[in-house]
Amino acid sequence: MNRLGNQSPQERTECTQGESEMRVNCGQRSMCMNQRSGPALLCLLSLFAAICFPHLAVAQEISAYRVGKIITMNEKDEVINNAVLIVRDGKIAEIGKASQVQIPEGAEVIEMSQCWLVPGFVELHNHSAGASTDLHDYVYLTNPDLRTLESVNPGTENFKLARAGGVTSALLISGSGTNMSGLGTVIKFAEGQMDDVVLKFPGSIKIAQAGNPERYWYRVGRSFMNYNTRQTLAAAQKYHRAWLDFESGKSTEQPLFDPIYDPFRDLFRGKFIASMHTQQFQVVMMSILMIQGEFGIKTVLDHSTFDGYKNAPTLHDHKDIVTIVGPRQLYFDPTQRRIFGIAQRWWQGAVRTLGINTDSPVIPQEELSYQAAMACYYGWRTYEAIRGLTRIGAEALLLEDRIGSLSPGKDADFCIWSGDPIDPRSVCWITVIDGKVVRDARNELRRF
Amino acid sequence: MKPKFRGLLGAALLAAGFSFAGRQVVRASEPPAKIALTGARVIPVAGEEMDSATILIEHGRITAVGKDVKVPFDAMEIDCSGKVIMPGLIEPQSWRGLDVPNETLPVAPFLDVADAMDPSRLYFEDALRDGITTIHVIQADNTVIGGLSRAVRSIGLTPDEMAVATNIALKLSVTPRSGWDRMQQMATFRETFRELEEYIGNLAEQKYEESLSKQNKKVDVGPAEARERGRKLITDADYDDQHRNLMRLKRGDLIAWINVGAAMDVAPALKLATEHGFFEKAVFALGSETFKAIGELKKAGRPVVLPEDLFHRERDSVTGEIRETFIPAKIHEAGLMFALQPNPNSSMAERYLTYQAALCVRHGIPRQTALEAITLNAAKMMGLGDRFGSIEAGKVANLTVYSGDPLDFNSWVEQVYIDGILAYDRSDDPRLEELLRLEGVAKKADEAKRKAAEEAKKESAPPAEEGAKPKPTEEAKPAEGAPPAENARPRRGTGGGR
Repeated sequence: MNRLGNQSPQERTECTQGESEMRVNCGQRSMCMNQRSGPALLCLLSLFAAICFPHLAVAQEISAYRVGKIITMNEKDEVINNAVLIVRDGKIAEIGKASQVQIPEGAEVIEMSQCWLVPGFVELHNHSAGASTDLHDYVYLTNPDLRTLESVNPGTENFKLARAGGVTSALLISGSGTNMSGLGTVIKFAEGQMDDVVLKFPGSIKIAQAGNPERYWYRVGRSFMNYNTRQTLAAAQKYHRAWLDFESGKSTEQPLFDPIYDPFRDLFRGKFIASMHTQQFQVVMMSILMIQGEFGIKTVLDHSTFDGYKNAPTLHDHKDIVTIVGPRQLYFDPTQRRIFGIAQRWWQGAVRTLGINTDSPVIPQEELSYQAAMACYYGWRTYEAIRGLTRIGAEALLLEDRIGSLSPGKDADFCIWSGDPIDPRSVCWITVIDGKVVRDARNELRRF
Repeated sequence: MKPKFRGLLGAALLAAGFSFAGRQVVRASEPPAKIALTGARVIPVAGEEMDSATILIEHGRITAVGKDVKVPFDAMEIDCSGKVIMPGLIEPQSWRGLDVPNETLPVAPFLDVADAMDPSRLYFEDALRDGITTIHVIQADNTVIGGLSRAVRSIGLTPDEMAVATNIALKLSVTPRSGWDRMQQMATFRETFRELEEYIGNLAEQKYEESLSKQNKKVDVGPAEARERGRKLITDADYDDQHRNLMRLKRGDLIAWINVGAAMDVAPALKLATEHGFFEKAVFALGSETFKAIGELKKAGRPVVLPEDLFHRERDSVTGEIRETFIPAKIHEAGLMFALQPNPNSSMAERYLTYQAALCVRHGIPRQTALEAITLNAAKMMGLGDRFGSIEAGKVANLTVYSGDPLDFNSWVEQVYIDGILAYDRSDDPRLEELLRLEGVAKKADEAKRKAAEEAKKESAPPAEEGAKPKPTEEAKPAEGAPPAENARPRRGTGGGR
């Protein structure tokens, strides 16, 4: 019911207010609806909406996609040729060989027998799903109380770009101007309003250890920044532990509710991640040693560029770390006078939870697959790159039971490509989110 | 290194590190079980120099040194005959492993250099190449009170892997930070220590109250008495980071590494150290002209770190004449223990610690003193004299193997052992190889040019003169910067060997 995860009561009220408007407008499912009156109201409104706005109504209940190849990215890494995927009520109902899957009667059949069906890409580092002016708030050096949820802006041009590039979900995070710039939000590039696009909040906490925040005040160095960030996290951890003690009965004193640090309890429970703006050897090293090592936080190394890959041996001593490379894919080592593909270097260092990012809009969101193509040109592997764009991202967000791979029961978020999505010649023809076709390039002039 | 050992050592000693980019950040590995370096001339720094001696190393520690040491049957023997072995050199202070020399905050004793240290810096690789095995990483002088320092070895992938000792010293600067004057600098010290007293007083009172309330009692004494009683109840965990480190400084648990950039700063520095009880733990890092207060420094008798540039120069405002003073000579005369630093600002030979020591010898300082100034003294200043700085049984096996006498500038650093691990080998140094290759290419090009010029001259010159006047060859030419006129001191080495 509550897709936004845990929030303060105040926020929830705001949502409800927004909701009533939404229901009238488009009759979408509601997240904050009253339990008793909900279903009845929904039925009524759906009916109303279906009559007045047929194009906005819930997509046809059952659809079947007959394609040349399905990259499932499931646990068995199945690739099914001449396959059919059946969508029912926004979820994947069935998936298998065309010869074995019975297409239900009344299903809308989309016939793309020369094409590949690939899970929708998951972008772990996105700034473009919100209002562009809300990227940075230089309030303090650490700002644990800021939330990108409040800057989500559904339906901007960037949403369309993402769909065009086969990106169906993204983690909207704030910028790297301060050491801690706020809580991130996982969104889907779906059509509709807030509750249609927000998938998880908090999705992450954005932390930047160096490489931008030093511009704060009269400049700060890494010894101070790391100290200060550690202090903030330690304060949040202390709050969490005080509550744990209270909840387990160890302590009788109920801690005072703190709206800033309360969302961090899930961070220490491992329910969401730290998005680390981290690059270069020393900074990546500190992300691993401090955020994962000292605090045990699930960590995503965003960027992880330049010579950060030399940390691979250190990374192996830690668990729960996902590495995503970008927007730079290359590193010119001045001492060796050679260009290296960064993803390939991490891979060579036996790092297997490896993904790619665009830092959109630094690189436009629709070029995520080009980023991967470049990584592969410099020595990474195509299949691993697709995995890095799909399942790895979903696992990093702890949403692997919903997105990032294709199997019955998961969200019907996928794209139909003219071929291998990592091949820059391929076109993303159709983008489907929650079973709904949100972009059909066959009807549009612009191709990406 | 002889070929037969290379494979073995490479596999056994060098860790599986990433050797494909930038500085070779090598993961610290277990030291080899037992190795013996035999046949070399050993300069133990502590004790007499020995010819063809044996150094036995077990699990990273030196267990025996001497001419009569027998090599156990299970030790891997490394023939070093013809080489000279020194204790690994020690750099007494450096911020060069950090991102910035100082933070902008004037008083920041809560910081730790570990948060800013970058093990991938080429600086650490260069240190190995120059025979430096231990570095005291500490913030620079643009501060009032800086953060905690640590001593590191020049190998390792993380600050903790590199560390040989943490929480060594706090940087204090009596010389004002940039933009400040001396009065503000000293007023800040006063305020910091006054605030510390206030903090401790409040903390003590609070602790006393807490201890009573646990017994369901109320405070029965006045605040002064409560503070006095509460002081004993404070543990290190009760302090915040800033006050804890200041307390450790006052207790003598941390060394006060005091920057004294000018002669006039010596007296305030001594007063500060005496007042707050860390005089016995003070090390003074001197500026160029600080030696002028040699009387005060001598009276204090504390060890000093000399400035990077060992010459103090003053221009006479009337005659324009430059007068130079060789600082170590003055310090040695006063009988103070001193440590030398390499001068990274010099593109010339002062960049090497051994050259700095050789300069001292040239100026009449005994060889033994000069050698101690680049090894043992820095270790002693850090409070690590029992582990580093000399080749003695029981010490850490940090060794530098030279091709000849370390103070001879034609000698190369051949190998460096850290904890008995072969950390550097000149025969496996691609960057040095590349540098020498380029030098070779340049030399060849010069040679070709010279020949072409000669040919051209030959053609244009009358044939009668040929052979009458022998042309000076490369070898016959005097080296650049060789001692010319009277009174003028040869300024720089030729830089030949390196």
